[in-house]
Amino acid sequence: MTAAGVQSSPPGAVPARLADRPAVASLRLAWLYLVSRRIPAALGLLAGLGALLWAALHWRWNISGGLAAQQLIPLTIETGSAAVIAVTTHGPFGDPERATGRWLPWLRLAAAVALTAAAFGALAAGAAGGVLPGGTLALLRNLTGMTGTGLLSAAVLGGAFGWTGPMAYWLATESVLAAGWTTPWIWPARPPHDRGAAICAALVFAAGIAAVTLLGARDAGRRSAPD
Amino acid sequence: MTAATDAPVRHRPPRAGGAVTLTAARLLRIELRRSAMPWILPVIAALFWFDSYRFGTGSPPYWVLRTFWNMGQGRTFLDFAPFVVGVAAWMGSRDGRRGTADLVAGAVRPRWAVQLAAWAAAAIWAVGAYLVFVGVMFAVYARQGLQGSPPWWWVAVGAAAVTAFSAAGFAVGAFFPSRFAAPVAAFGAFLAVIVSDQNGFGDTSGWPLILPTNANGNYQPVSGIFYPYLPDLPIARMMFLGGIAVAALGLLGLPARAGGAWLRRAAAVVTLAGVAAAGTASGLARTARLTPHGMTIPALHDAASDRPIGYTPVCAQAAGVPVCLNPAYRRYLPEVAADLRPVLAQVAGLPGAPARVAQVAGRYTSGMFENQTDVAVTISGTPPVLRVPLDEFNTLPSATPGSAAQFDQELPLLSVHAFVGAGNGAGTTAQQAVQAALLQHVGLPFATQVQALAIFGLPPWGSEYLQGLVSGSESATGPGSPGGPVYAAARRFAALPAAARHAWLATHLAALRSGELTLGQLP
Repeated sequence: MTAAGVQSSPPGAVPARLADRPAVASLRLAWLYLVSRRIPAALGLLAGLGALLWAALHWRWNISGGLAAQQLIPLTIETGSAAVIAVTTHGPFGDPERATGRWLPWLRLAAAVALTAAAFGALAAGAAGGVLPGGTLALLRNLTGMTGTGLLSAAVLGGAFGWTGPMAYWLATESVLAAGWTTPWIWPARPPHDRGAAICAALVFAAGIAAVTLLGARDAGRRSAPD
Repeated sequence: MTAATDAPVRHRPPRAGGAVTLTAARLLRIELRRSAMPWILPVIAALFWFDSYRFGTGSPPYWVLRTFWNMGQGRTFLDFAPFVVGVAAWMGSRDGRRGTADLVAGAVRPRWAVQLAAWAAAAIWAVGAYLVFVGVMFAVYARQGLQGSPPWWWVAVGAAAVTAFSAAGFAVGAFFPSRFAAPVAAFGAFLAVIVSDQNGFGDTSGWPLILPTNANGNYQPVSGIFYPYLPDLPIARMMFLGGIAVAALGLLGLPARAGGAWLRRAAAVVTLAGVAAAGTASGLARTARLTPHGMTIPALHDAASDRPIGYTPVCAQAAGVPVCLNPAYRRYLPEVAADLRPVLAQVAGLPGAPARVAQVAGRYTSGMFENQTDVAVTISGTPPVLRVPLDEFNTLPSATPGSAAQFDQELPLLSVHAFVGAGNGAGTTAQQAVQAALLQHVGLPFATQVQALAIFGLPPWGSEYLQGLVSGSESATGPGSPGGPVYAAARRFAALPAAARHAWLATHLAALRSGELTLGQLP
C-alpha cells in the first residue's frame, strides 16, 4: 500500500495556476453565489412570467370591471416577478458566509439589480403580445417599486419571506385602485408619466437595494422565521 | 398449586390509542412551536387593518353594510389567502428543501401523519389568527353600536377558506419542494382568487355562487335586519372548501413513501371523498335560486330560516300621522319624520292620504345590491299606509357630504310620486304636473326638483319625469331649467290658493290616479 495515488489530482480538476487567476476566481465566486441563491431557477421563473404576460395580452385574458380591473392581471404578474426576485436573497449559509464573504455586499447588489433588469426585460418582451396598460414606462416603475418592497421585506422578515412585501403591497393597491385613491405611494394607480409616483417607486427600490446590500436578508445568524 | 401462581405478574400494556394521542399531541406541539405561520401574522394584521377594517368604516352603521366589503365580498379571506398559502407551502416543502425526506420516511410515524401534524400546526395558527382578527374587528363594531346582527355564517366560511388554502399550499410545497414554492403558490392562489372573484361579480347564478367572495343575491341590506342571513350558500361553500382541504391533504398520502399500503389506500379514499364533497357542493350551488328571503338551495334549505325577524317599531308623529320604523333604523326616525311632515300636511284629509307611515323590507335581487334603481315607495291598505323600504335607498343620511341633502329630496319625491298614483312609471303628464306642484309646496322648488331627479339611484322613471319638467330647455351640458307644458301646468296649479288646490284634489284625485285626466283638465 502506498500513498502515491493520494497526491494525484482527480481527472478534470482545474490546474492551480488557472484557478488562482483573479478573473477566474471572481467568476467562480459569482457563479457559486448565483447557484446558492437559486438564481438560474429564478431566471426561468421570470421568463415564465414574461410568457404568461405575453399570453394574457395576446389572448386578451380580461376580467370584468373598469380600468382597475384591466390592470389586475399585468400587475399581478409584475408582483409575481418582484416576489421571485425577493426570494433569491435567501441565503443558506448564515454566519460563515457573513464572516468570510468579503464580496458579499457587492454580490447581493449585483444580483438584485441584474435580476430586476432581467425581470424587466422578460416582462417587456411579454408586453409585446398586446397592449399593456400604461406601457413599458409604467411597467418599469411598478416592477422596480414592487421589487423594492420585496427586498425590504426580505431584510426584515427573511429572504424566504421576501415575497410577502410585493403581495401585501399589491393587495393594498387593489383596494386603493377600487376606491379611486391617487396617492403617489400607490404608484400603480397613477399615470405612467407621473413624476411623484416614479419618485416614490424609485425611493422604495433604492431603500430595498440599500437594505439588502448592506444588511442582507434576515436569515441564519440573526434570528429569522423557521427554515 | 398451579403454574399460574408462579407466573410473573403481567402488567397491562399501555393502551395503544392513548399513546398515539399523546405522541400526536407532542408532535403537534413541536410543530406549533416550529411553524413559520406566526412570522407572517404581523403582515396580515397590518393588511387586515388597512384593507378589511378601514375600507368599511364609512358605511352606515349596520352589520350587513359595514361588513359587506370584508365578509360579503370576502375581502378578509382575500387578505389571508395568499400569505397562508405561501407559508403553508414553505412548511410543506421543509423536508424536501432540507433533503430529509428519505430520513423522515424511515421514522416511526408514517410520513403522512407527520405531514398532517405540520399542516395542522400551520392551519391552527392561520385559522386562529383569522378568528382573533375578525373577533377584534367585530368587537370594535359592537362598541360602535352597529344595528342588525353579525354575519356569523360568513365568518365560518372564511375560516373554512383559510383552512382549505393552507391545505392546498401545503400540498404544493410538499410536491414541489423549493424556495420558490411559497411565492409561486401565493401568486397562483392570488391570481386564481382575484380572477374568479372579479369574473364572478357578473354572475348571479351557477357555479360562481360557490365562491366565498360572491355577494350576489345573498348579502343585502335586509339581511340580518328584516330576515336572517340564509345559511344555504355558506353551507355549500364550507362543503366545497372542506372538500378541497380534504382532497389536498389526501394527495399527500398517495406517494409510496407516505406510509404503508393500507395508509395509502385510506389516503386515496380521503382524496376521492374530498373531490366528491367539492363537486357536490358546486352542483348544489348551481341549483340556487333567488327567493324573497335571499338565495336558497332547495336541498339545504330550512323553511324556518325564512321567518322574518320580529321587532317592535319605533314611532314618531309627523303632521298627526304616525311614522314607524324598524328599531334598527331608529337613528333616522327624526329625519324621516321631518322630511315627510310637509308632504303629509299637504295631503291631509284627501282621499287615499296615508294614515300611517311604515318602513317595509326591501327586496332581494340577484345582483350584488338591492333594487336601488327601482325603489318602491307605495301607498296601500285600508286605512292607507305609506310603505317606505328605507334599505333600498341609494343613500341614507351619513357623514358623507351631501348624503343628508340627497335623502331629504329623495324621500318626499318618492312619497309624492306614490300619492299621485304614478306607480313604477313617470306617470301621465297631469300626474307629473300635480306632483311637481305638490313638491313645490313641500319645500322642493321646481329648480331643486330638477337637481333631485338627477340623483344617482332614482328609479328609471326619474329621467322621463325630468324630461317632462324641462321640456325644450335641455342642452348638451345638462337638463336645463324647468319649462314646457308640464312645468306651465304645474306652476299654474301651484299658484292656486291652498284651499282651492285641496278642494280640486279632493274632487279629482281618483281620476288623476287612474290616469284619466289630461294636462288641459288641470285648473
